[in-house]
Amino acid sequence: MKKLLFTLVFASFLFACSKDAAFDGSSGKSGSITRFAVFQNYMYVLNLNEVQTYDLTDKQHPKLVHRLSTDYGLETIIVYNNTVFIGSTTSLYILDTSNPAAPGIKSKTDRVAFSTGGCGCDPVVVKDNYAYSTIKVIENGCGCISAVSALVVYDVTDQSAPAVVGTYFLSIPDGLGYKDSYLFVCDEGVDELIVFDISNPTSLVQTSYSVSIIDPVDLIVDGERMIVSTKTGFEIFDIRDVTQIRKVGQITK
Amino acid sequence: MPVKIHHYGLLLTLLLLGSCVKDERYFYDGLGKRPVYVPASELRDIRNEAPQPIQLSGTIYLRDSLLFLLEQRKGIHVFNIQDTLNTINLAFFKIPAVTDFTLSGNLLYADSWKDLVVIDISDLQQIQVVDRILGVISPSLVPPLYNGIFECVDESKGAILGWEDATLTNAKCVTE
Repeated sequence: MKKLLFTLVFASFLFACSKDAAFDGSSGKSGSITRFAVFQNYMYVLNLNEVQTYDLTDKQHPKLVHRLSTDYGLETIIVYNNTVFIGSTTSLYILDTSNPAAPGIKSKTDRVAFSTGGCGCDPVVVKDNYAYSTIKVIENGCGCISAVSALVVYDVTDQSAPAVVGTYFLSIPDGLGYKDSYLFVCDEGVDELIVFDISNPTSLVQTSYSVSIIDPVDLIVDGERMIVSTKTGFEIFDIRDVTQIRKVGQITK
Repeated sequence: MPVKIHHYGLLLTLLLLGSCVKDERYFYDGLGKRPVYVPASELRDIRNEAPQPIQLSGTIYLRDSLLFLLEQRKGIHVFNIQDTLNTINLAFFKIPAVTDFTLSGNLLYADSWKDLVVIDISDLQQIQVVDRILGVISPSLVPPLYNGIFECVDESKGAILGWEDATLTNAKCVTE
């Protein structure tokens, strides 16, 4: 009997492993903070002061085919509707990918008027004609003086000339994401996931639907649920009804 | 904006040559940061390790029910989050000095110190390096989100695995 039980358990492990190991080949999604992005047949990698383009025609053996020089401080890259956005410590870049093998700079904003250089993570998400970006400044960190942390909204209707249309001061904001007309922002400073109503992108409203979470870093909205990473773990929330966000899981301790 | 590193040693040498007066001003003593190295010989040690707790998270990536989560400079965790009440810590990919990654198909692209590595993860429990592009990445040589003195990186000792607090004597690097 014991032997049978053992065999059964062993077999179930095998089954579990093979199931876990199987990919269906569908594409996934990253959080808002990453320096790698796959775009069509290419991969863009942010490297200090350049955007590297790798040709993925032979996926197993990427080829570095182009280097686009930028200022220092590139932090995050995302692709939205076939447009590549890059958040740096000083600017928001939109790339010209008419030739994806050799991208150029379509536009580069002055990041924000009140920032004297800025530092920290600067993730960007884009919805329709607006880009939402956080600027995180650690007090006395990175030599930042008189800079602030904030959520900044850009109108990117004209991709060659994005314009700041809103600034909302936060404590220590980090990763962000959205569902419908709600924007979620990790704020490590107040240990909260802050929820903004972005129905009117030029005038956001901070809602009362925020959720407490210790040291939130980044998030991924996945349909009806949202995964929020923290410094040492992650939590999962049911966001079917954003007015009542419910925690439904976390890393198993 | 780049964080500048000042090599005051050279400046001091010049001052000494000019004045013959010993001047300690440009060496720093006190609390600061010291790099923790992984020897260059160990950088190629990319493999599966037992699932482990998260110490300092980084990039996250979701595919189906699998959550990939970067462990700063150490590797990548994989969790199955299908059953949200009972998430499973499935696997850990050891990738020394990794700071970011992405996925495409069954391939994982990651940096590892100065290299870009391509790893086949078709079998999560038995990953395989399929390519390594040498010397394309320029890693930061400054402690992140830090302001103060630090021991300059000596690349002959290997790659940086992290930074530790330390009492330094004659430190020559400082953030600005």
